Amino acid sequence: MSVGTHRRRGAGVAIAIALCVVAAACSSSGDTVGSTGSTAGSGGGALDALQVPQEYPTIQAAVDAAEPGDLVLVDEGTYKEAVDVTTADLTIRGVDRNKVILDGEFELENGVRILETDGVVVENMTARNYLSNGFFWTGSDRYRGSYLTAYRNGDYGIYAFDAYHGQLDNSYGSGSPDAGFYIGECYRCDAVIDNVISEHNGLGYSGTNSGGDLYIINSVFRYNRAGIVPNSGSYELCYPGRESTIVGNIVHGNNNDESPAIDVALLAQGNGILLAGAVDTTVERNLVFDHDRTGIAAVPFPEEDANDVAPPASEHQTPCEETRDREIPVENQNPGLVLWHPTGNRFIGNVVSESGLADLASATLDADGVTTATLNNCFSDNVFSTTSPSNLEELAPCDATGNGGDFTAGAFDLVVLIADMAEAPPKDTYTKTPVPGDQPTMPDATTAPARKFEGPTKPDVASITVPAKPAG
Amino acid sequence: MGARTGALLVGAFAIVAAACSSAASEDTAAPEPQPKAPAATLPFASPARHTGPQGRVGQFVVECGYSHSAPDDPIVHPGMSGMSHRHDFYGAVDVDASSTAQSLLGRDTTCDKLVDTAAYWHPTLYDHDEIVVPRKIAAYYRAAPGIAPTSVATMPLGLALVAGDPVASTPQAGEATGWTCGSASGLSDDPPECPDGAPLHLVLTFQDCWDGVHLESEDHQSHVTYSTDGSCPASHPVSIPQLTMSIGFPIRGGGHDLRLASGNIYSAHGDFFNAWDAAGLQREIDMCIHRGAVCDLASNRAEEFPFAAE
Repeated sequence: MSVGTHRRRGAGVAIAIALCVVAAACSSSGDTVGSTGSTAGSGGGALDALQVPQEYPTIQAAVDAAEPGDLVLVDEGTYKEAVDVTTADLTIRGVDRNKVILDGEFELENGVRILETDGVVVENMTARNYLSNGFFWTGSDRYRGSYLTAYRNGDYGIYAFDAYHGQLDNSYGSGSPDAGFYIGECYRCDAVIDNVISEHNGLGYSGTNSGGDLYIINSVFRYNRAGIVPNSGSYELCYPGRESTIVGNIVHGNNNDESPAIDVALLAQGNGILLAGAVDTTVERNLVFDHDRTGIAAVPFPEEDANDVAPPASEHQTPCEETRDREIPVENQNPGLVLWHPTGNRFIGNVVSESGLADLASATLDADGVTTATLNNCFSDNVFSTTSPSNLEELAPCDATGNGGDFTAGAFDLVVLIADMAEAPPKDTYTKTPVPGDQPTMPDATTAPARKFEGPTKPDVASITVPAKPAG
Repeated sequence: MGARTGALLVGAFAIVAAACSSAASEDTAAPEPQPKAPAATLPFASPARHTGPQGRVGQFVVECGYSHSAPDDPIVHPGMSGMSHRHDFYGAVDVDASSTAQSLLGRDTTCDKLVDTAAYWHPTLYDHDEIVVPRKIAAYYRAAPGIAPTSVATMPLGLALVAGDPVASTPQAGEATGWTCGSASGLSDDPPECPDGAPLHLVLTFQDCWDGVHLESEDHQSHVTYSTDGSCPASHPVSIPQLTMSIGFPIRGGGHDLRLASGNIYSAHGDFFNAWDAAGLQREIDMCIHRGAVCDLASNRAEEFPFAAE
């Protein structure tokens, strides 16, 4: 139910309605869609939109009335709603990112939940105080979230699961015990996280069993328990996590004892970019500093209650849709402990400093015939002070032969590190995390027509350079 | 951990028996649920279960913290305080022998979906005669294997379900009950030795076919049964969500001497008394089960590592 204050109506309405007629008559270009709504845009523009609360008292009411291609335009106010979306190609937009607020009051589960529905765009609004997630796409392709703010949500800030062809950009996630941003269970995902800020979470980014044209670029991950943590496990489908591309991010100060945390975040605490059983990841040209443990590391993820064994490398490029309905052979069904080894990862041209244990690290628990020496992770052209094992760039350079040195010299004792886990914070910690300041609002929110989202543009990763260190 | 295989044939028996017990309702669309069906002589039937990684079918999952314990059972001994063996309760708070579905509606709940004010309970676990305080349950709601998701109807208010045989003293046939570690889906008759990071769980799978008429039955079984080969029998034609309740205990490693308040560990069973907010339950069924959407996942990553530090 909407209970907000709504101040935007006024003298402009009549003019805007008149404009709308013209706009609607002219809006039949291929890019512009939507026909159900017929009233004025807010704030002086002219938009064909379903207006909340002017026409529909709640966002849910407008969403339910909308047809594919429509724009739902939400005016300033606080909306105590959990919105479910099942209409394809809908755009739900706030007129002001900082003043259109969905508030779960720690009673509702998700701010906006998109369920098995393609092409839904959500932009320019805030979701806070939800028991589960701020913004959540599940089983939904062609998804876009832009200019979103999510804070103080009980699982994830902005969350995409079993979703493909997506883009999360210009957004902010804080104060979640799991991750501020999450993309999971997809291969090949074809998704981009670009220009986001994630802070005060358990994990800045987490993605389980995701990858393949999955880009995490030009973003800031700071003051979480851990920064960017792609990972693997067989409690959900499409394992392992593979082929994520992490480039041009600023990752720092991810040692935050005051952040909320699920237990995996405690395990990962004090690391900037931590590949936890993820494979074939590209980590290039990131600026990483100030971490209690490591700046950038590849470590195994021990899954003690696995449902399947790790697939061989020869199956890593099999699309998820081809493996998800496969019968698991009886002999693999209850393997007990499975170690997800971090193999085939490339770390190139990163600038890493101020790490407590090592700026760069590669490690695993010896098992299954795998040792740190056989992980096939490679390190080249990084700027750093310390590595584990010692001399890592000489031991395991990319596109060159290693010097044949000793991978056990300076290696981590992972058993000791895993046991030395940070203390779990109270469960309600997320409800007390910092309230973010105003975030940049979407340009032309009240005038831009809805445009069908066909999927992300593949980023020009090669053009991304190491970001400059932020002031202070 | 001694995976159990097969033993699903009992389900077929159940259907035959159930078919004799009550005629299918002519009007299942808008039934006025009746209090109790007569008892039938039923073996304890076995479900077809979802195993392996989550996500193959739509689901929603409610996680509910441990609420309290009492020697009460509002299904088996309604109104008779102290008549039961000791139970551990989850969901609606302050559940006791006199609780009714109506009295639970709108109550505070230990569940992470506040519209779930149902009551969930099971006999208390003891280790060397010491009470084991459980941590929480994960309640999975899904279409049972092979059941068309869009055919799943909601559960009526007041529906009472009991999974497992409370008087069993030897391993129960089938997989209505079983033990595992963490969120692994393979079950064993005996509690396995579990690692620190994935402690002991008891997994109970409830009946997913309802007679469409009765909320309860004298034997607490005859009004519901399990689907077989993806369909509900004519006697119990209404598909309802298959509820799987996974109970987490802070039990790791070996050296335990476990029993339940109802008897030895083979007497594992659990109860569900539906008092969900009706609109809230319908919404999750519509959005998650009918659409085939994974709305929630439960894993061992969020909250069970602290067992290692206890």
